Amino acid sequence: MSINNKKRFLTEGKYVMMGNIAMAEGALAAGLDFFGGYPITPSTEVIEHLAKRLPEVGGCCMQMEDELASINAVIGASLVGSKSMTATSGPGISLMTETISMAANLEIPFVFADVMRNGPGTGFVTEPHHNDLGLMRFAGNGEFQVIALAPMNCQELFDLTITAFNFAETYRCPVFIISDAYLGHLHESVNIPPKEEIIKRVINRELPQDLNNKFSYKNENNGKYIIPKPPIMGTDYSPVMFLHQPHNPQGFANRRLSLPFTEMLIEKIRSNMDKISLTEEYKLDDAEIIIISYGLPVRTSYRAVDIARKEGVKVGIFRLITVWPFPDEKVKEIVKDAQAIIVPELNYTGVIAEQIERVTPLKTPIIRIPKVSDLHHPDDILKIIMEVAK
Amino acid sequence: MSGLGPTYPSEKPEHPYLSISLPGRFTGSYISRFCAGCGYGIIGHLFNKVFEDEQLDPKLYPIVIGIGCYSQMLLTLHFASQKILALHGRAPGLATGMKMANPKMKPIIFAGDGDALGIGGNHFIHICRRNLDCVIFVFNNSIYAMTGGQGAPTTLFGANSTTTPYKMFENRIDGVNLALTAGASYVTRTTVAHPRTLMKYFKKALKHKGTSIIEVITPCVTYFGRKNLDNLGSEYLNVKGEKMDNTGIMIDWIKRNSVRINQAKFMTEVELFNKYVIGEFRYAPNKPEYSEEYDKIKKLAMEEK
Repeated sequence: MSINNKKRFLTEGKYVMMGNIAMAEGALAAGLDFFGGYPITPSTEVIEHLAKRLPEVGGCCMQMEDELASINAVIGASLVGSKSMTATSGPGISLMTETISMAANLEIPFVFADVMRNGPGTGFVTEPHHNDLGLMRFAGNGEFQVIALAPMNCQELFDLTITAFNFAETYRCPVFIISDAYLGHLHESVNIPPKEEIIKRVINRELPQDLNNKFSYKNENNGKYIIPKPPIMGTDYSPVMFLHQPHNPQGFANRRLSLPFTEMLIEKIRSNMDKISLTEEYKLDDAEIIIISYGLPVRTSYRAVDIARKEGVKVGIFRLITVWPFPDEKVKEIVKDAQAIIVPELNYTGVIAEQIERVTPLKTPIIRIPKVSDLHHPDDILKIIMEVAK
Repeated sequence: MSGLGPTYPSEKPEHPYLSISLPGRFTGSYISRFCAGCGYGIIGHLFNKVFEDEQLDPKLYPIVIGIGCYSQMLLTLHFASQKILALHGRAPGLATGMKMANPKMKPIIFAGDGDALGIGGNHFIHICRRNLDCVIFVFNNSIYAMTGGQGAPTTLFGANSTTTPYKMFENRIDGVNLALTAGASYVTRTTVAHPRTLMKYFKKALKHKGTSIIEVITPCVTYFGRKNLDNLGSEYLNVKGEKMDNTGIMIDWIKRNSVRINQAKFMTEVELFNKYVIGEFRYAPNKPEYSEEYDKIKKLAMEEK
């Protein structure tokens, strides 16, 4: 609403920032107007920082009574036209899944930062563990598709938060930011671009020309999915009732719509995979051994790859920035001729390794390097690379 | 045929409020999915009446409905009002977000006894504590009716329900006392047998700035009435009860079982056991309201530096 507020954007330049604060600043730059949260280590800095910053720009930061209320307040604010987000950790997201599922049905856009910590249960609260990825993918009851982005440094926490808000506005689904206890508490330099450049990147919440269709639907003529702008309560562009049941584009529920509605929730994302799926490649052109990873382990892998290349081992990195939806086609293309795939992950089961297994030829070995509550040492990865290269 | 009963005009006169309900507008008759004898039809109609008479702007009074039998009221409420079905018990949270993101709004929350005092008890307490500007209706039918008559936190002591087939042995929660303790600034309780009072409270709540709680005692003939006798609430009189399996007896029981707040002062605890005290419990128009206080914070934050 108040995107042109002076205090919304930091002055252009270099800053040393904590990861959580970079994320909060990124959200402000993207036009955040409402933050509802409940303090939980290691995400507390987000709510602390926004409690100070949001009133300055005319927004509202609320510390609610629990996670259930905070996520409901977030979607309530989104319903009346504010860009909104929440930040939490493992135990918080498991409480919030109920409402995430409701928001997915009503296609209410919001951004959800998950600063992951060790688990299950309370775990060690200040240590990283990418253990919520499965929970994000299948958050809540019912079938729907979410988007999850995995930054790996503080600069990306700033940039990808803006991207996350844009995805939420465009595709109208829950968008997660995968952070963790180390990344959230990391202090790094962040380059804040000029205000005009940020404004150009941000997609604003506006009323569309066509006020008839409020929810996504399939165009029967060309089979494409049309995603209208999110409806805003308190304007003419709002359905008579928001029912979280299978409904038509005008918002009226109908039992017969169950299948096409479920199909729409998933396919509206999958049919736009080329725009949603962000990836990065590093020395991949002639690589025989491929490291596939996301988040902090990628940074360790860079070092390991550089050392291995000096030894003459042809190894490269394929980095997933968009983790969910998993880019099946892209990965299939990459791993087609690979001799081996190495997946360093900050969890034991290898949530992403399982996904890679789905699309890899059976003969190709997939080696997982699990790590919990700690980061990989480059030597851990280098050792595996050398073993495979023999 | 003639002379056997009262005569009716050949043409049915049009009901003045028919066209403001959604089904009335499209079909020209009242359609609702409530059981015979349910109080929600009365409440929905009274709500529509006030909404129309007070000329409320539908864009500024969004309606947030929780989960329960009354969720079906969505279909019968004023055609122009903007409504959202919340999750079970989470309506206060949703309304808080709406109010804070657009402070011009005044959400109207429909919650049941299980919704507001059971699963959403925490949210109910905290919306009262903040004194957020909104109206909360708590429909108390002493039972979980939509799922088939299970015991609720408000079920009277000694009553029967499907999950307490022998008798209810838990103490009931008093929504009004909870709201008073939590700090709501306008707290009332009435019944569907007192429709004019209900409208009066609702109109006053619309003008009041702060959390307004209106608890409405409403009959559930199908699941509460059929299983219980109408001597509930007057156990001390040792009378033999009658089954409340029709609306007349049930409304009669509600009237008999409600005590005005001024009378209640002179009654003993034994006499008030299982009774509903009705009336205005608190009206504090000068209590600070949350969104106004937050606006002050915003001004403070914007001025700095």
